[in-house]
Amino acid sequence: MPTIAVDAMGGDHAPDAVVQGVAQISLATDIECLLVGDERRIQSVLEGVSYNPEHIAILHASEAIGMAEEPREAVKRRDASLLVGVRAVAEGRAEAFVSAGNTGACVLACAKHFRLLRGIRRAALASVYPRQREQRGQDALALLLDVGATVRCEAEELVHFALMGSAYARRISKVASPAVGLLNMGREEMKGGDVLVEAHRRLRQLPVVNFVGNLEGNDLVRGRADVIVCEGLLGNVALKLIEGVSEVLYDLTNAAAARRVAWRLGLRLLAGGIERLRALTDYTQYGGSPILGFEQLFIKCHGRSSARAIGNAVKVAAKAVRDHVPREIADALAAAR
Amino acid sequence: MRLGRARPGATPPASAAPLLCRWDLDKTYLRSEFDSLRSLLRTAFERAEDKVDVPGVAELIRALKAAAERRGRSALVYFVSASPPQIGAAIRKKLALDGVPYDGIVFKDQLAYLKRGKLRNLREHVGFKLAELLRGRLAAPPGAAELLFGDDWELDSLIYSLYADLVAGRLLPARLAPILRRIRVDPRLVDDILTLAGRAAGSERVARIFINLERRSPPATFRLFGPRVVPTFNYFQTAAVLGADGHLDAEDVARVGRVLLEGAGYTPRRLENSLGDLVRRGVLTPAAAEALGARLRAAGVLPAADGKARWRRVLGALRRLRRGRRKRAGAAGETPALDYDAILDRAAAASGRSA
Repeated sequence: MPTIAVDAMGGDHAPDAVVQGVAQISLATDIECLLVGDERRIQSVLEGVSYNPEHIAILHASEAIGMAEEPREAVKRRDASLLVGVRAVAEGRAEAFVSAGNTGACVLACAKHFRLLRGIRRAALASVYPRQREQRGQDALALLLDVGATVRCEAEELVHFALMGSAYARRISKVASPAVGLLNMGREEMKGGDVLVEAHRRLRQLPVVNFVGNLEGNDLVRGRADVIVCEGLLGNVALKLIEGVSEVLYDLTNAAAARRVAWRLGLRLLAGGIERLRALTDYTQYGGSPILGFEQLFIKCHGRSSARAIGNAVKVAAKAVRDHVPREIADALAAAR
Repeated sequence: MRLGRARPGATPPASAAPLLCRWDLDKTYLRSEFDSLRSLLRTAFERAEDKVDVPGVAELIRALKAAAERRGRSALVYFVSASPPQIGAAIRKKLALDGVPYDGIVFKDQLAYLKRGKLRNLREHVGFKLAELLRGRLAAPPGAAELLFGDDWELDSLIYSLYADLVAGRLLPARLAPILRRIRVDPRLVDDILTLAGRAAGSERVARIFINLERRSPPATFRLFGPRVVPTFNYFQTAAVLGADGHLDAEDVARVGRVLLEGAGYTPRRLENSLGDLVRRGVLTPAAAEALGARLRAAGVLPAADGKARWRRVLGALRRLRRGRRKRAGAAGETPALDYDAILDRAAAASGRSA
């Protein structure tokens, strides 16, 4: 069973939610977790919940990086849990790292201590999100990358992202030939400027990628592609827009329920459907998303991650280790050369 | 090799007085299932060959006997079970199959309660167990120290703590009566227990109470019982604490660990994590864990080579933890007077939650 290092101090609800998530995983699976952080606080949370000590070790780190800290300054603190954990993975003491902490610091910590796969120039932060299924057998989740690790990209980097995302989806979502799309302002191949046009041309010529062409914004939540590739700035805006729309929908529903009894009754009738929608957009069940491009694995969780989300992220990390995701990406890169 | 002391524990054995080891049966020795009526019935009619013991428990009992003999004393093993005597034959056969030497076994005569219409007594075990423990104490050689083994399914930690405090003379019969009434022990049994307790009261005899966390109850649940009660997640942990207390040698602990490695799917890393957990919880001192860890690594029970460096790092971190904890906890080593009202309040709240 793989050892997964977990940043006990990262996230809005750390260390409680993180330690509780790991405790749940220790009871339900054979995955070994290395909790990284303030051992006294970790132990104090651990003793108050059910856990299996046989699957949990603790690596002390005296500092923690705040969610609002400036990432470049934050990663200079060598004894911060994020840095201690990433080093532990780089040194081979664990096979993957899971953190719900400061996203910028996570990406920089990886860049500082992990090694890029041969041929990869830039890492990509991916995000898993729910989308509509257009065909039978399609995964309920799509992978969007990059969502912020590399703000501006060259065409070659977008091609790398396509290869990485495709390899990840093949292994984790078990899609034999994931459909890959390029996020653009129109479906025509000449749209979007030089970088996107060149990326489109190269992707179309790559036999190892099932490229379905350009995608527009409204395609993001449809089932046209399993992997959507874009530069970090665009991906981040798109992701936040999806999250924002979902949140506004719930706010409007709640406001409507509070305003009129008739609306409340109507919503009560729709409760089953709303609950299904909530389940579909519930990030806690997807766990986390990978930072791809390194020889080592990093799963980034939502900052607001609950114990359940952390537990699912640990499972995703273990699955990525077992399925040799970095090797799959390296093989895909080699085949594309 | 004798090991360093565990944190609170009792005096390591030095006299020739025997060591009494008293074991609960279901969920402590046996992996009994009675989560449903069907599993309860299955357990009742199970053949000895089909009964499953908790990994490492048989080896631990054999090790306790053998280690005591090496020290020129005897270890007497008794089982006290709330199961009916009708399953006694299967249990005795199971113990024989496991090669577990024992000196006595007591069952609860459920049929007698049924005949007398005492239906409440069928499920109420505190009175029965406490009375049997006290009877056992009165029949035991004077001066014998005791180790008690139970689990987290019923009220073993409460029963054993009451017993230990009664024997130590720390809990007076007058204080015991309202506690037993609150647990709704049969008034006739209460009278028996008070009489027995008056006769058994003497000096500190119970060195440790081990609770097998079969339900994976949070260890913090047992804080109210003080350091004498040691919740353990597996019998390797129990063996490690007994090793640190001087009841077992490192080789004995290694044997228990090996049983888990060879027959229960454990890995050296899992055992190492178990040891680390004991230190973090303040049950073992880092020094005791280090001494034991070195022997266990040499025996191939804990990870070797890089594991050694890892272990040093773990211990370094644990020392920091212990320093902080010592400041909070104050001097350990003595069992403080337990607040049974708080314990019962908590038990009532917990049963209310689960209801």
